[in-house]
Amino acid sequence: MTDTSTPRLRVAIVDDEALARAVLREYLTQIHDVDIVSECANGFEAVKVVSELHPDLLFLDVQMPKLDGFEVLELVGRDVAVVFVTAYDEYAIRAFDVHAVDYLLKPFSAERLGEALAHARERLQRGERPPVQDLTTAARPAGSRAGRVLVRDGSRVHVLAIDKIDYVQAQDDYVAFRCEGKEYLKEQTLAQAEGMLDPARFVRIHRSYLLNLDRLARVETDERENRFAILVDGRRLPVSRSGYTRLSARLS
Amino acid sequence: MHPILARAERLAAYLAAWLVVALLLGVVLTRQDVAWGAALVFLLPICLIYAFVCLSSWYVCRATPLTSSGVLRVLGSSAMAAIIASGLWIGLARAWMSALASFTSAGPTLEQYGRYEPLLFATGVLLFLLALTVHYLLLAFELAREAERRQLQLEVLSRDAELRALRAQLDPHFLYNSLNSISALTSVDPAGARRMCVLLADFLRDTLAISARDRIPLADELALTDRFLGIEQVRFGDRLHVERHVDAAAAHCRVPPLVLQPLVENAVTHGIARLLEGGVIRLDVARQQDRLSIAIENPRDTDAPASARRGVGLDNVRQRLTTMFGAEARLETRTDPERFRVELAIPCFTDD
Repeated sequence: MTDTSTPRLRVAIVDDEALARAVLREYLTQIHDVDIVSECANGFEAVKVVSELHPDLLFLDVQMPKLDGFEVLELVGRDVAVVFVTAYDEYAIRAFDVHAVDYLLKPFSAERLGEALAHARERLQRGERPPVQDLTTAARPAGSRAGRVLVRDGSRVHVLAIDKIDYVQAQDDYVAFRCEGKEYLKEQTLAQAEGMLDPARFVRIHRSYLLNLDRLARVETDERENRFAILVDGRRLPVSRSGYTRLSARLS
Repeated sequence: MHPILARAERLAAYLAAWLVVALLLGVVLTRQDVAWGAALVFLLPICLIYAFVCLSSWYVCRATPLTSSGVLRVLGSSAMAAIIASGLWIGLARAWMSALASFTSAGPTLEQYGRYEPLLFATGVLLFLLALTVHYLLLAFELAREAERRQLQLEVLSRDAELRALRAQLDPHFLYNSLNSISALTSVDPAGARRMCVLLADFLRDTLAISARDRIPLADELALTDRFLGIEQVRFGDRLHVERHVDAAAAHCRVPPLVLQPLVENAVTHGIARLLEGGVIRLDVARQQDRLSIAIENPRDTDAPASARRGVGLDNVRQRLTTMFGAEARLETRTDPERFRVELAIPCFTDD
């Protein structure tokens, strides 16, 4: 039954517009070695589907409510190949910059979709995965600061408001965002988190800590000349020598 | 700002004219056997002061503009102002004369002045009226220039609106998405695809036709927004609901084209399209005698920052309304956590 030369491709369609999903469904059902495992009307559903059904390929709309296509890519881009589907040329160009397999400009033909599928197969056979760094910067246009931090926890997505984050701590291959009494782990380096957050608000006080200045109550020095940042909630974080220089520069 | 005081060269010319007046009055005074020196000592200071008093006629002009005040009112207030000003001047002349007489021997004698005073008074009235005329001319000149400037600005803006309207028809987001909907409908709902083609064609044609006109009946603009919403309804389905309350008396108001449509478009792209469940766009149009008020309200994403940009559409509408109606146009926006509201009020002109 199964075609041995080309393995069946498991795809999911993500678009908030029912008619836009219908075009893709119509085209894809006519291709014999493609299975549609799910159709999602928003980005949250897409993240859930990727974690639970593990499709090979996402057809992903860019302009969607709550979680747009670039944000979905940031969250699941390591686990699935993505073809962007959009009416905006400028998004399509950005899609290429962030290692999307291909893009389809609405409206598109069945032939063009066929080409995108061929590109996806190539990419999947090579087994390439886009670097995490590219994916985290993908969610924002170049040069802009994030307005919120997205953290994926299995099939769930947490949206952290920047002003609710107390500090960020490096933990091996992850960083932990301390936010409203909870910790959220994200696969990235502290330097990447620093690049994402507003430098007027977050200061690197230590090799492993990035502090939200609004949370700082005072700085203490112990008898061995070690400095600590005391937060509004009483928590103590170490401050390195260079961290203290940066902190003083910001506070003066 | 005062048109003469504001410019140094104008003030110099004005004071030079007054010097001539003072010399002429001096000639008359010398005929009364007053010496030239005495005549000038008396006349130069009071003429200088009266020159500045006459500048105040500008405020009479401003208070009773020729265009909106009756002839009688203009004549009455001019005469009244001239008599009062000249009366004050005579009082000043008398005081100056007695001061000159008591401290020095300069200036005319009381008897000489007595014969001279009626002439001085009449001259004062006439000069004030002359100054008033000059000021009315300056005012008319400035108004004409201002009107010309506004007309030019309006032309630039409406040309701009035309361009924008043209571009809106080629707007990649709206047009491509509509075409994508048509592409989807062709196989599942051919009749629907055809309806959508007709809607889109009608919308483009109407936008072109409307944008070329200066004023259109509000009913036409409402019809255009209906077509637009009809197209978006196909795209968004159940996510888009519209509640319309249109005062029947408002339909005849003549409004600038493409004032409502960009605002409704914003309500869809910044409101409905950003919400998982969509929501209701409310459109309220009411007319109170000669005022037309329009409110457009859409739900918004509670996570979005309050300062989210509303695009150039809103700015353009605001600019056009201000240029067209000046202080008579009002456009306000209000952002609640859950809803965004635009209110605008403009004068309503009708054909009848």
